[in-house]
Amino acid sequence: MEKLNFKFKGTEQVKNKAHVGVVASGDLEVIIKPTTNSESTLNIVTGSDGFKEVWQSVLKRFFDRYPLIADFEINDFGATPGVVNLRLTQAMEALEDEK
Amino acid sequence: MKNSFVELHARERAIVLLDKGSNRELIDPYDNMISPHLMPQGIVPESDDGIIIEKGTLEGKKLVIISIEGNFQGGGIGEVSGAKIVAALEHVLEDNKNGIEEYPIIILDTGGVRLQEANYGLLSISEIQNQIVALKKYVPVIGLVPGRVGSFGGMSITNAIMSYIIGTNRARIGLNGPEVIEQEAGVREFDSSDKDLIWNTLGTTQRQATGLIDEVIDDDIDSFKKAILSAINEKKDSHKTERTDFYLSLLDSLDPSEKLNISSYQKIFDNVKEQEHHLPQAVASDKKHTKSRGRQWFEQLTGIKNADSDVSTVLHAKKDGFEYIAIVPDENNPFPRVRHGEVGLLEGYTVASVVNDLINSEKNTPKEEKTPIIMVVDVPSQAYGYNEELIGIHMALAASANAYAKARQAGHKLIAFVPGDAVSGGFLAHGLQSNRLIALDDLDITVQAMSKASAARITQRTIAELEEATKHVPAMAYDIENYQKLGALYTLIKGVKGYDSDEASISKVRAAIDAALADDDDETLKFRYTNKIAKESGRKATNQIRKMMDEQWDK
Repeated sequence: MEKLNFKFKGTEQVKNKAHVGVVASGDLEVIIKPTTNSESTLNIVTGSDGFKEVWQSVLKRFFDRYPLIADFEINDFGATPGVVNLRLTQAMEALEDEK
Repeated sequence: MKNSFVELHARERAIVLLDKGSNRELIDPYDNMISPHLMPQGIVPESDDGIIIEKGTLEGKKLVIISIEGNFQGGGIGEVSGAKIVAALEHVLEDNKNGIEEYPIIILDTGGVRLQEANYGLLSISEIQNQIVALKKYVPVIGLVPGRVGSFGGMSITNAIMSYIIGTNRARIGLNGPEVIEQEAGVREFDSSDKDLIWNTLGTTQRQATGLIDEVIDDDIDSFKKAILSAINEKKDSHKTERTDFYLSLLDSLDPSEKLNISSYQKIFDNVKEQEHHLPQAVASDKKHTKSRGRQWFEQLTGIKNADSDVSTVLHAKKDGFEYIAIVPDENNPFPRVRHGEVGLLEGYTVASVVNDLINSEKNTPKEEKTPIIMVVDVPSQAYGYNEELIGIHMALAASANAYAKARQAGHKLIAFVPGDAVSGGFLAHGLQSNRLIALDDLDITVQAMSKASAARITQRTIAELEEATKHVPAMAYDIENYQKLGALYTLIKGVKGYDSDEASISKVRAAIDAALADDDDETLKFRYTNKIAKESGRKATNQIRKMMDEQWDK
């Protein structure tokens, strides 16, 4: 298990919250909450050690496309980068639905 | 499948059963009440700890759905997850007492105790069972076993206690998973790689044919809604835990040394001639019996020398106004898997019968005059065997847990005195329904949910790794001193060991029992999470969950 922390700059302050996913084998849960900070903070707990750079690039691609500002909590149980990206996108869609 | 219920995750399962827009989740992922015990062991937590509680309506009827996520840590119950269930059920009970009709639905998808928090798991599960026994008097407590993990371990005992169980043919129910039986009793007892054997034995088709599940329906959301509504409207309760005479008669009629199969068991099941069973008190004898700490202390406390009983593994006697009950080993027991003091089919149902007899004989006795029950606990485990699983040992253990809870709720004081081992399903059946646990401070006592060999296998660690992990984590401790740090014990008696037989030791134990009885003024299990040790450290998360549930319940 490894704890990772990232910060990303964005432009769009998130107003709602969202939760998707389950900490099942090969899956993860993503929680998005509004923040008063000026950038996104991500607290990640992952069951697979040594993938910090992979996370960095998956997240960078996500934030390049969706420059959100929010607090992210992620609990990951060995998801592939594809699944991570899918859940992040689903969480973002769940934010839209809340509106 | 388009409307499959089984394929859904726990949260979706809860939401689809409720009228659209009526649901409200309590202690939700945003509260982020993760288990405090997982990350220190290197395990990724989940924001809801695998338990989803949704309040809402189904065709206007108020429901509280408790849904277990089987994909997170096998649906195992730990401190936070357990406390969420207990607190929710407590509120449902309170509401019903206050005239608010509200129906609890528990969606089971669970391996039972979460091994990484084994001691919390066992405590919580006994607390859940206690709430269900209390609730059944008001409303049916409905269990769903849709399938994937199914319902195993301590939670299979819990499902047997519920009023009515609905499942699909994709579910399995059993006390011990096949892997654990193979580990404990060998591959010839139960081959855990034989999928057909597993499904034929533990699958719902077999379970329904022999009365272990009440209804098997199609895997379809609407079928679940319909089945729930009719269970509510018709107040369905199959009283599975009250079938002790049936099962004791069944056990009389079989040859325990013969390995059963589906068809030979069905024949026995269909031909049971139910007879009443009442176990007479143990009497003094000059026979030699298998030695054990449980037997020794039963004899020391009752004064019955070489206590002999019609059921060789269950001793009970009324002495000095107390009812003493012990489960003891018998190395010549005709049940081959119950020779070392395990709780098997006969033990579960016999203890239930003894306790029910006491409850019935004092039905009209005022509360303060009801006979207190002193359980002498020395149970190394439940029985691990093929016949046991086929017949449904989880229901036998449920029968005794249910009877003990009923007795306490009726006003009998319930003390568990632990001079020996207190492990797993055996402890749930005989010990954990007491609200005052007294133990000897003896490091030879093992308290746990599973043997080290099995726990290592299931959590995919070596025994050495497991021992290293448990040394510093009271949640997983195997010894009584670490167990005390949870706040679960009322008294830890210093200076007396399991095999002590001197007068001073015996009077010390008697004094501890008397003191516990004098202080036992409630009929609940709350002592174990409201005492000082529990509040300050042992059950901190439990208390926090309880507080949050209070705050969020009526919002």
